[in-house]
Amino acid sequence: MPPNHPGRRDNYDTVSESGPVPGTLDAMRWLWTPAWIARHVAMVVLVVGFLGLGWWQISRAAAGNTLSWGYAVEWPIFAGFVVYVWWREVRLARRNAAAATGQPADPTEQPADASPATGESRPAVRRPVRVARVPAASEAVEDTDLAAYNHYLSWLNANPGARPGDYPG
Amino acid sequence: MGAALTRYRVIAWIVGVVLILLVVIGMPLKYGFDNPVVVETIGPAHGFLYMIYLVAAFDLSRRADWPLKRMLLVMLAGTVPFVSFYAERRVTGWLARPADRTPEPVAG
Repeated sequence: MPPNHPGRRDNYDTVSESGPVPGTLDAMRWLWTPAWIARHVAMVVLVVGFLGLGWWQISRAAAGNTLSWGYAVEWPIFAGFVVYVWWREVRLARRNAAAATGQPADPTEQPADASPATGESRPAVRRPVRVARVPAASEAVEDTDLAAYNHYLSWLNANPGARPGDYPG
Repeated sequence: MGAALTRYRVIAWIVGVVLILLVVIGMPLKYGFDNPVVVETIGPAHGFLYMIYLVAAFDLSRRADWPLKRMLLVMLAGTVPFVSFYAERRVTGWLARPADRTPEPVAG
């Protein structure tokens, strides 16, 4: 993908349709690496196999095996789960590729949007991000009252069910 | 996370116990003594409980943001007799680490 392509960058969720060359599947080329083809094939094989097993169970159930009605319901659910997992992996890889500006995390994948101004292609509201907060150094606290209060608060945090009257310090 | 982990642990323990009953008692009775009554009663119950186990493991894997491979391994571990207990201990060790809950000062 040329980095300065004047394509429709505002289409974040329809990145597959706003490729570098409109009207082609260039933006989905990263889904056509050998590893991804293997995943697509595995997904299709599993879904077809599971649906076939479900159909087999329907025939068994029709032949009089009551328990097979349950299995006939289970196999399509498994097939749907396979599709769901496949779709989640595709979405995850696309998000990772979009997050890595310029350099994709996986060398087999091309980033979905390699332009440096990826901030424009993002929606204004993003998913919340968990950040590991580094505990502040305790020697930075000069105020002894503040230190005592912090100690009290960390004790409360460490003992969620405790009442303030139980504070030993 | 805590509730999902508890749900997973409970159903993992139940599935593990029922699977051991099936393998240790049911299968010898059926194939050694030609008495399939235990397998016929516990077998479908185990299948149903294992579906609940799959749902609980999937729910936990989504909350804990596991990679796909780990989720599938945990799911498959429930099918192996005795190994399911080990898997449950491993999962609990991953998720219930007390080091993650160290308090931190509010100011300073």
